[in-house]
Amino acid sequence: MSTIVVDIADLAVSADPDATLITYSLGSCIGVAIWDPAVRVGGLLHYMLPDSQLSPEKARSNPAMFCDTGVPQLFRAAYELGAVKNRLVVKIAGGSQLLDEQGTFNIGKRNYLALRKIFWKNGVLIQAENVGGNVSRTLKIEIGTGAVSVRSRQEETPL
Amino acid sequence: MTLMLDRIVDRVATLPHLPDTVLRLVSVVSNPDSSVEQIVEAIRYDQSLTAEVLRLCNSAYYGLARTIDSLDAAICLLGTSKVFQLVMAAHARTLLGRPQEGYGLPAGMLWLHSAGVATAARLLARRMRLPQMGLLFTAGLLHDVGKIVLNEFVQAQYLEVVRQVTQEGVSFCEAEQRVLGYTHAEAGARLAERWNLPRAMVRCIGYHHTPADLPQADPLVDAVHLADAVCLLLGIGTGHDGLAYRGSATVLRRCGLTELDLESVGAEAVAELRSVQAMFARK
Repeated sequence: MSTIVVDIADLAVSADPDATLITYSLGSCIGVAIWDPAVRVGGLLHYMLPDSQLSPEKARSNPAMFCDTGVPQLFRAAYELGAVKNRLVVKIAGGSQLLDEQGTFNIGKRNYLALRKIFWKNGVLIQAENVGGNVSRTLKIEIGTGAVSVRSRQEETPL
Repeated sequence: MTLMLDRIVDRVATLPHLPDTVLRLVSVVSNPDSSVEQIVEAIRYDQSLTAEVLRLCNSAYYGLARTIDSLDAAICLLGTSKVFQLVMAAHARTLLGRPQEGYGLPAGMLWLHSAGVATAARLLARRMRLPQMGLLFTAGLLHDVGKIVLNEFVQAQYLEVVRQVTQEGVSFCEAEQRVLGYTHAEAGARLAERWNLPRAMVRCIGYHHTPADLPQADPLVDAVHLADAVCLLLGIGTGHDGLAYRGSATVLRRCGLTELDLESVGAEAVAELRSVQAMFARK
């Protein structure tokens, strides 16, 4: 059993049935877990911000930092291991907010909307999600089974 | 059950003092008129801090061809402000590195969050044109020091604190106040006073969640508040308290910043923090 930790602004893919991909401390960031049941290939992305226009230079050196550059890279990396787009099961978690009545600190919401937009454009459905609120989440996917779970405040729930 | 103030003060009394060198260094960098020589002098006579600076300079991160064997050489290589930040981050690691179970923070997490807030505060200082970068960096490092004071009390009352947050919609700080009678920000300010830290720094620690409670707006407190918001949003060293804190839109506006500025600061802070972590990773 090997565990691969995906950092903030990072991604990983694997075809090792014994591997688990895990990412910690998803605040307003979003974790995207994808899995192809036919070839048992999966991947996990932890992106920080919605739009790479904020810093094209950072997006070049670290595409996983942004939704619009990280998501295509995650899918491409999974295709290289044999995954096929229309078989992929997609689950997401994160997008939390601070307590803020005026909705000013809304990176979480914008991160979520950016993802919905890119998936809608590309015909990708989100099968399950655990987003919003004001908790910090841990997201993990087991490559052998495709089981995805979310942990926050000591409680783990399957997604 | 309200926790008696003096029990928390008793707890503060059992915590270690900051080393004299660190106090001297903080007071030197808190003064905008200080010279480079004064900063060097503040570190020079502390052998263990000097040794730590040299160890970090010679770490795999810098990949230097030659060995740095003196403080002067380190300062030539990295510059005074970097050396100061290394000294402070190294010391904070000793103070904040332990797990804080009450807050759901495993070993190293509180330090990571604190180093993140210190880095973001320094980046915000540049954007806000505040000259007190050294003071802000240190205030960022120490802003949550009250968590080491309250940790065991929060742990004992954890379920009630979380119930208040989830069912009554209050912030984690407000829940601490209701359940324990004291917030980690107030406890931290007490500790900072006991350490005789500069008043400006005590204010940053005490009001970092409630900058609007100050009778007069303080740009240093505002910078720490926003730096903390950035790190909470990006999940840098967050625990069970998660994002259950209030972000002040008023503070963002009066600092002349937008949410995009916070995003840029966050992106830079994450990149810088990676190099800090790489430097502190033991060879």
